[in-house]
Amino acid sequence: MTIISAPAGSGKTSLLRAWADRPGQPHPIAVVPVQRDQHDAQQFWLVLLNAVRQASAPASRAEPPAATPGFNGRAMVDRVLSELADVRDGITLVVDDLHELASPEALAQLTRLLVNLPPNVHAVLATRRDLQLRLPQLRLAGELGEIRAADLRFSERETRELLHASGIALSEAGVTLLHLRTEGWAAGLRLAALSLAGHPDPERFVAEFSGSDRTVAEYLIAEMLERQPPGVQDLLLRTSLLDRVNGELADLLTGRPGSERILLALEDANAFVVSLDPGRAWFRYHHLFADLLRLELRQTLPEEVPALHRRAAGWFTQHGQVADAIRHTQAAGDWPDAARLLADHSFSLTLDGQAQTVEALLRAFPRGAPADNPELALVRAGRNLARGRLEEAAAHLAVAETHAEMTPPDRQRRCRVGIASLKLALATRRGNLAGVIEQAELLASPVTGQSGQDIALDSDLRALALMHLGIAEAWALGLPDAERHLQEGAALAREIGRPYVEVACLAQLGFASKIRPFAIARRRCQEAIALADRYGWGTEWMIAPALVTLAANMTWTGEFGEGERWLQRTERALQTDTGPGITLLLHMASGMLQAGRGRHREALEAFSAAEHLGSQLEGSHALASQVTGWMLATQARAGRPGEARASLAALDDERVGSGEVGNARAVISLTEGDPAAALAAVQDVLDGTAPVIGSVTVVEAHLLAGLAHRDLGDQRAANQAAERAFALAEADRLVLPFAMTGSAELLEALPRHETAHAALVADILDVLYGSSLTAKDQSASPQADELSPSELRVLRYLPTNLSRPEIASELSVSVNTVATQLHSIYVKLQVRDRSSAVHRARELRLLSAGRMR
Amino acid sequence: MRVHLPVLDHGVMDPAPAPYVIRIHGHLGATVLSAFPALASRRHGAHTVLTGWLDRSALYGVLAEIEALGLDLLEVRQLTPDAVTTEKEA
Repeated sequence: MTIISAPAGSGKTSLLRAWADRPGQPHPIAVVPVQRDQHDAQQFWLVLLNAVRQASAPASRAEPPAATPGFNGRAMVDRVLSELADVRDGITLVVDDLHELASPEALAQLTRLLVNLPPNVHAVLATRRDLQLRLPQLRLAGELGEIRAADLRFSERETRELLHASGIALSEAGVTLLHLRTEGWAAGLRLAALSLAGHPDPERFVAEFSGSDRTVAEYLIAEMLERQPPGVQDLLLRTSLLDRVNGELADLLTGRPGSERILLALEDANAFVVSLDPGRAWFRYHHLFADLLRLELRQTLPEEVPALHRRAAGWFTQHGQVADAIRHTQAAGDWPDAARLLADHSFSLTLDGQAQTVEALLRAFPRGAPADNPELALVRAGRNLARGRLEEAAAHLAVAETHAEMTPPDRQRRCRVGIASLKLALATRRGNLAGVIEQAELLASPVTGQSGQDIALDSDLRALALMHLGIAEAWALGLPDAERHLQEGAALAREIGRPYVEVACLAQLGFASKIRPFAIARRRCQEAIALADRYGWGTEWMIAPALVTLAANMTWTGEFGEGERWLQRTERALQTDTGPGITLLLHMASGMLQAGRGRHREALEAFSAAEHLGSQLEGSHALASQVTGWMLATQARAGRPGEARASLAALDDERVGSGEVGNARAVISLTEGDPAAALAAVQDVLDGTAPVIGSVTVVEAHLLAGLAHRDLGDQRAANQAAERAFALAEADRLVLPFAMTGSAELLEALPRHETAHAALVADILDVLYGSSLTAKDQSASPQADELSPSELRVLRYLPTNLSRPEIASELSVSVNTVATQLHSIYVKLQVRDRSSAVHRARELRLLSAGRMR
Repeated sequence: MRVHLPVLDHGVMDPAPAPYVIRIHGHLGATVLSAFPALASRRHGAHTVLTGWLDRSALYGVLAEIEALGLDLLEVRQLTPDAVTTEKEA
């Protein structure tokens, strides 16, 4: 790694350009110029990522990296690191003007990048001042190269060469004088060369320059300017207040045509004007040069400055470069106009990934004035919400609402829609969804804007509003409107070209598809994820609802391996804090997976975590009773029925009456050996009087009833119950309820030719045993020695998670007895461990005989 | 370049405005001086001396401006109250 640290005008950028343009460069070079006063980490990284891609694969026509409202710095650095590592031979990464990076986050992220740089990458950083990059280990290892001001200074010989190369004839004494006066400062020499080129009396120029005590830059720039034709002087002065300029914009500011030609000529003459793109349409001035010109402008044409800023703002607005437009409006001192522009465009700027730019623009407003401005308060509320500062967001939202009537009549509606939308987003984040319905009316009404721009702004706002509305509805009560609103939001977003909102709506649509057949929900999730992947948003938090819903969906159909993979992807996407809601889903899906695999302890952990998060939400959520029900059931299955009873007693009435908790009560009763009570517990579900979240609860209830009947000795009733469960589960090919309730024995007891669902039964058993049934039948299984009745009794406890002491206690024998019997079981079954014993016992149908007391 | 940062008797930096003297190599013309409206300037040999009252943020703002304009900074010094009058007379 190389650091070039030297003051303004030392020649850093020139050095880099000359080095990069050298023929025979072995490696591609990615150049990243940091924009002036860059506060926006995401913007910096997008430029860097793009530069790396352009350098490593210039012919590639892949879409440029897309910005997102929620920037995950860590993921971005990982992405850059992996793309750098993929470059075959090697690549050089150049970051110029690093001191302009005003975002501490970005600097920290960059440090992480540099510390983890792959060996094939050479990084070069250029800066005006030493930065705290915390790279001591590189320095110690001798891997850090430094170029400082002293290295960049021109020697007398180099000065002579420079003059000679510019075609300037100067005496030895003259060269010495020039070198002395400028102290070898590159900018000084270049400026001098500009004035000396074609000068009638170069010796006198140098003598006068030498004799002056003026600072070098000031003197020489004044000289250089003076020698330019008035048109050029005017152009340079007026355009100095821009960060970048093109011909059209310059024409606008000077009021004269022909600027492009002048800019091109200036660049060709090496006069501190530099083009920014290969097509040479956009230019910028050397920062030092621009700063001095700007000062000169304020001295010579002070009364024109605000007007120039306004003209520039107008041009930028027309060309959709809103951030620049707002900056110039602020610079002109037109604060109310700037506030209006920012309020109008804050949503779209955020969607374009310029959230931190919005914050920087907010900070530029003078204190006091915007305190009552409802539109600015709304922008502040939005930013606070995005950063998870919920209290501040609520406070600003309150200010916005209180002063909403202060906005001009033609902006009222937009302001109110913005407020309603943000209120919904805040409520969803907090889990307080009581007032959802009220907001719905306002947000769902159609757009009635006047001008094209109005409609565009309103559409942005409306798409976002529909998204927030749909999400809130899906979470609150699972309302059918949720689907409709999310679909509408996605369609509108597609129409207006807002892929981020489209993907977010589709991601939530997958989650909201609870009442649909599983296949439809799965398809919707997969579509959303595919779309997100296309834009490179596969690991963003907003796709998490689709990821977790898909994971759960796969788990429901018994595809545990796939389900686990999607869960892992969800975890990666949730690394930023997104509130309790989505994490709750993650824990729930995780619990389902563990329960399906019979890992009761892990499942209990997950369900308990979900329950805990649920209690943090301010209101009840759509899946609350499911989480509670499964947690209680798993407590029982993990051998703690007493605990489950206690938790049950502590529940409020609403939850107690739900079908899911009814099922849990049945599980507890079954574990306690009371099948009659279990039957009573599921009665409400079976006859349809208990509220249920979905048909899966009813499937579960049938299975639990079946297990109860079997325990009571009524095999026929047990078979009937199982058949009913199949009937319900067939359409979606559900496997999980069978796995979770431990119904393998129920299925085995079914006379195969009597069931109408033979295929489903076979599939379920496949999953439960983790191996193919047909393969097992064909293999020759050696006959095991017969197990004694007491050994059989112990055997039946093996599929549970009870430990040996617990089994001993259940059987009222000593632990030693159990140990001996287990040993004997293992020998007779020719296995070495508990799970193999269970597996073998099932193969031999030892576990389906008799019943468990 | 020597920098003497402000330290009071009890060793704590005072954020309230304090009198500063900033010495720069070369004579600053009207244009560059307009970048330092809060400071008075006078020539002192081959140097320019800027004086004025600055709080902490203003001080760093001035330093940033000096960096941006590529000026040759020689000295930054905070004055004690009686030294202010002495400076003025110099």
